[in-house]
Amino acid sequence: MSKRNQKNRSHRDRRSSSGPPKPKPGYAGPLEQVDECCWRIPRDYKIGMRVDGQIFADERLLEQIRCDQAPEQVANVATLPGIQSASLAMPDIHWGYGFCIGGVCATDPAEGGVISPGGVGYDINCGVRLVRTNLTQDEVRPRIGQLTEELFRRVPAGVGRGGSYLFDGKEIERLLTEGVGYLKTRGWATDGDVEHTEAGGCLEDADVACITDRAIKRGGDQCGTLGSGNHFLEIQVVDEICDESAARTMGIEKDAICVMIHSGSRGLGYQVCDDALKQLRGAPAKYEIELPDRQLACAPVDSPEGQHYLRGMRCAANYAWANRQLLMWQTREVFADFFGRSWESLQMDLIYDVAHNIAKMEHHTVDGREKLLCVHRKGATRAFPAGHPEVPPQYREIGQPVIIPGDMGRASWLLVGQPASMERTFGSSCHGAGRVMSRTAAIAHAQGRRIDQELAEQGIVARCRHWKGLAEEQPEAYKDVSQVVDVVHRAGLAKKVARLRPIGVIKG
Amino acid sequence: MMNAKPQAATPHSPLPTPPPMYETFEHTADLGLRIRAGDLPELFAEAARALFAVIVADCRQIRPAQPMTFELEADRHDDLLRDWLGELLYTFHAEHLLLTGFNVTLDGTRLTATAGAESIDPSRHEIEVELKAVTYHGLKVEQTDDGWLAEVIIDT
Repeated sequence: MSKRNQKNRSHRDRRSSSGPPKPKPGYAGPLEQVDECCWRIPRDYKIGMRVDGQIFADERLLEQIRCDQAPEQVANVATLPGIQSASLAMPDIHWGYGFCIGGVCATDPAEGGVISPGGVGYDINCGVRLVRTNLTQDEVRPRIGQLTEELFRRVPAGVGRGGSYLFDGKEIERLLTEGVGYLKTRGWATDGDVEHTEAGGCLEDADVACITDRAIKRGGDQCGTLGSGNHFLEIQVVDEICDESAARTMGIEKDAICVMIHSGSRGLGYQVCDDALKQLRGAPAKYEIELPDRQLACAPVDSPEGQHYLRGMRCAANYAWANRQLLMWQTREVFADFFGRSWESLQMDLIYDVAHNIAKMEHHTVDGREKLLCVHRKGATRAFPAGHPEVPPQYREIGQPVIIPGDMGRASWLLVGQPASMERTFGSSCHGAGRVMSRTAAIAHAQGRRIDQELAEQGIVARCRHWKGLAEEQPEAYKDVSQVVDVVHRAGLAKKVARLRPIGVIKG
Repeated sequence: MMNAKPQAATPHSPLPTPPPMYETFEHTADLGLRIRAGDLPELFAEAARALFAVIVADCRQIRPAQPMTFELEADRHDDLLRDWLGELLYTFHAEHLLLTGFNVTLDGTRLTATAGAESIDPSRHEIEVELKAVTYHGLKVEQTDDGWLAEVIIDT
């Protein structure tokens, strides 16, 4: 601890001494209750709003939601041309840049609807996947320290950390346009992996000519690396089953061991977004779009600028799916070596992989008419119900698996999409717990504490490259994910299937 | 590490110009940087120092082993600041370089800068945080009574 405090002193010495940070300004605008799980920001709240804002929450979450400017951002998004039905926010909503985190916005290209890189975010196709095993808690708990250490040693994590999968020019081009399908040709993915990844792990119409050499350079050696921040790899135990039938269909039961992986498109995606925002600086003026926040920069979906971004974004989305696939592949290799059995005999099958920062063209019904919409999910998860043609055959009768990671001390959840998601949220659900504490506040809150020891006392082994990573991601920095999930469950957007608790955590 | 010195008061500015400085401010999921300086070039240089002070635990460990120059142009000062910090972040991520010793000159909204760079050496450089990108949200460069102020939010 003394070394840690020393570092902090030297860091602080370079800063101004302007006193403690000012409290965050809260949202003072209207939030009208629609039903027990939904609150409205009426479109007359702000000039330029084309539709209402709608926030899914309960009374307790609403108190936290009012504490920052996230609801104002929901209202800002409601001003975007071509927006349909409402500017939506999930119960894990929190203050972002431009769009709130936890936002869903669908625009109709036929009505001048726009695509906004800010509605996807810098970490394009940040997402999460869940892998089952036939191991039980009793087999793994006694060795969880060693297993976590081995994963930490072999799965690259941390700022700018490169990986062992390198691709030359032709190979990276195929990876960016074919996603997980390309990895299958290299022997690093199976048919089952492809089938159980959203969109089959590949968005069509990805065009490498629409991304810069800088983006490719920045992501060149990062495919198969975890990164840092809130990204993680967790060994989890199925702690509670809420829907026996759906759980059985997904191959999980109480006390079973699963692995959850949360990562995105690494530096490549950040650069694609950064380049796009620069290219779109002049677009709002060109297309006479008035924006309340420059980070909402956008262009009509059907414009050359809009299509250019979409095609580049799809490259980054495909890269992200490949990244999570390679992270899973390395995890399978570690488990196989550790337990002395092949990953196939450990039945380490991919349950599902979902994106939660993405824009996709999807068919939805608005006012009784079917439309092809551009659905932005910024910190929101697709949650298609049973019967939807994009749900893989194995899950067609139960609905698409929806994976909701929580904080590293409490729980994560597995749900399935429900019909109301199509009616209310363009087939979307929440994506996580949602932060309540800023990163700086979390670090201050962790002073003098050992987060890793606190977690160890709860039976959770946590390894991180830097203590700040654990401090920023401490459980108290997040809402209780179970409260968040409860709202989407009660609102009929997604149904609870199982709760998972972490026992081993790796962070960058 | 702050190599800029406070400027002496002149007949036109009755108060002494404060030394450049920065602070971080609260933003739920991201990191806010607030930078103050007596003039614009120093504001840009201090913003660069602030960026690397956030990334690496102790900036004094960065040796200016390799000289680098940057030339950038934008339509407005706030976009220029964003592009400048974005360029530095790209250099860090793509070239695995840490930078120090910034010297910035501005001609309108055209920036020329020099700096010293060193490859990341894990034995001496403790990288504390991954900064993904410099956003436009709340981006601000404005003149104040005693100099210049900038605010920028960085996606972490």
